Amino acid sequence: MTPQDITKLIVRTSMKDRAAFDLLYRQTSAKLFGVCLRVLNDRGEAEEALQEVFVKIWMKADRFAVSDLSPISWLVAIARNHSIDRIRARRKPAADIDAALDVADPAPGPEAMVVAGDESERIHHCLDELEKDRAAAVRGAYLKGESYAELAERHGVPLNTMRTWLRRSLMKLRECLER
Amino acid sequence: MTLAEDNGPERGGDDMFAAEYVLGVLPAEERQIAARRIDTDTDFARLVDGWEIHLSPLAAAYPEIEPPAAVKPAIDRRLFASTATTSAEAPAGLWSSLAFWRGLAAAAVAALAIYIAVPYLNPPAVQPQARLVASLAADGSDVKYLAVYDAAHHEVGLSHVSGERAAGKDFELWMIEGKNAPVSMGVIPAGATAHIVVSPAAQQKLAQGAVLAVSLEPAGGSPTGQPTGPVVAAGDLKSI
Repeated sequence: MTPQDITKLIVRTSMKDRAAFDLLYRQTSAKLFGVCLRVLNDRGEAEEALQEVFVKIWMKADRFAVSDLSPISWLVAIARNHSIDRIRARRKPAADIDAALDVADPAPGPEAMVVAGDESERIHHCLDELEKDRAAAVRGAYLKGESYAELAERHGVPLNTMRTWLRRSLMKLRECLER
Repeated sequence: MTLAEDNGPERGGDDMFAAEYVLGVLPAEERQIAARRIDTDTDFARLVDGWEIHLSPLAAAYPEIEPPAAVKPAIDRRLFASTATTSAEAPAGLWSSLAFWRGLAAAAVAALAIYIAVPYLNPPAVQPQARLVASLAADGSDVKYLAVYDAAHHEVGLSHVSGERAAGKDFELWMIEGKNAPVSMGVIPAGATAHIVVSPAAQQKLAQGAVLAVSLEPAGGSPTGQPTGPVVAAGDLKSI
C-alpha cells in the first residue's frame, strides 16, 4: 500500500465508508498496535487503546484533510497521543514485565521506508549533533512517551532542570532542522 | 509555577510547547491545555503539525505487532452496534475519481475554516446543533457554493460563491449518505442565494452529516433521477 492508497482509505473513511475503514484497519493496525504497546507496556491496556484509537480515526478522519502529515504519520500521531494521554491518566506505570517489550528497536520495515527519506536522515543527523545522553532522552521520550517527571527521576535531576535540559535540546534540534 | 505558566511570552514559547506536546513529556493537565489549543488555535495546530512531521521518522522504530483478532469486532461493536449490516463493497463511479477526492479535500479545508470562523460570527446561544454547513467545491471546477442546512426550518440555504452554469444547463443538488445512491434535492435556482426545502426523509440523513454535491445537468434537472453530468462541487456537512 502506497501512502496515496492509505490517504484514499482515510478520505473514504471520513465519508463513513465501512469497507474502506475495514481495509484501513487491516493495513495499519499492526503498526498502531506496536505504538500502543510500546507506550503503554501492557497488553490488555494496549488492546483497549487500539480500539479507542480506531474509534477516533472513524470519527475524526475528516480532520486528516487539514493536516500536513503523511497518512501513516497522522495515524501514528493519533495512536501515540492517545496512548500517552492514557499513560498520563493512570497513576503508576504498569509493572507488566510479561509484556516482554524490552526488545531492541528493529531495523525499519517496509512501513518505515514509506516515511524514511531526506526528512528521516535529517532528524537522525540532527539528533547526532546533540550530546549522546540528550539525544537518547529525546528518542526515549518520543518512543515511550516518558513524562518530564519520569525522565527527571531516571536522570536524578530536579524536574525543572530536566525541562530546561530537554527544551534546550529541542531548540538545538529545531535550529538544525531549519538549516 | 506550572510548566504552562513558565511557557511565558518569550519568542518561540508556543513552538517549544508544541514540541513538548508532540514529544509526549508534558503532564496530563498541560496535555489537555495543548489539545484544546490544537482545536481552537490554527497557528498552534500548525506548530504541532510541524513537530509531528519533524519527529515522525522516529516512529520507524515502532515494531509492527499483529493485534488479537478480537479487537476489530470490538471496534465495530462500539461504532456500529445499532446497525446489523456488515461492510458492503465501496461505492464506485464518481467516488473513484481522483479529481473528486482532491476537490473534497479542498472542500474540507474550506469547511474547517468556516467551522472555526462561524462561532465568532454568530452568538453562541442560538441552538448550536441546529445548523450544519458545507463548503461545496471540486478540483477542475470554478463552481463554489456555501451550503447551510437549517434543521429548524427544514431547508438548505445556498450561497453562490463562484462559477456559472452553461447555457441550457442547470445545477442540481444531491445528497449522498453513506454508500447509498445520490438523492436529488432539486435543481438549484439561479441567483446569489437560493433555498431548497428538504423532504422529511432527507432531514434525518442531513442531520447526521451527509455529503452534498452539485452536478451539471440538462435544463430542468437530471432526466434519470441520478446525476448524469459532472460533479462540479461537493462537500460534507459539519455542525457549527
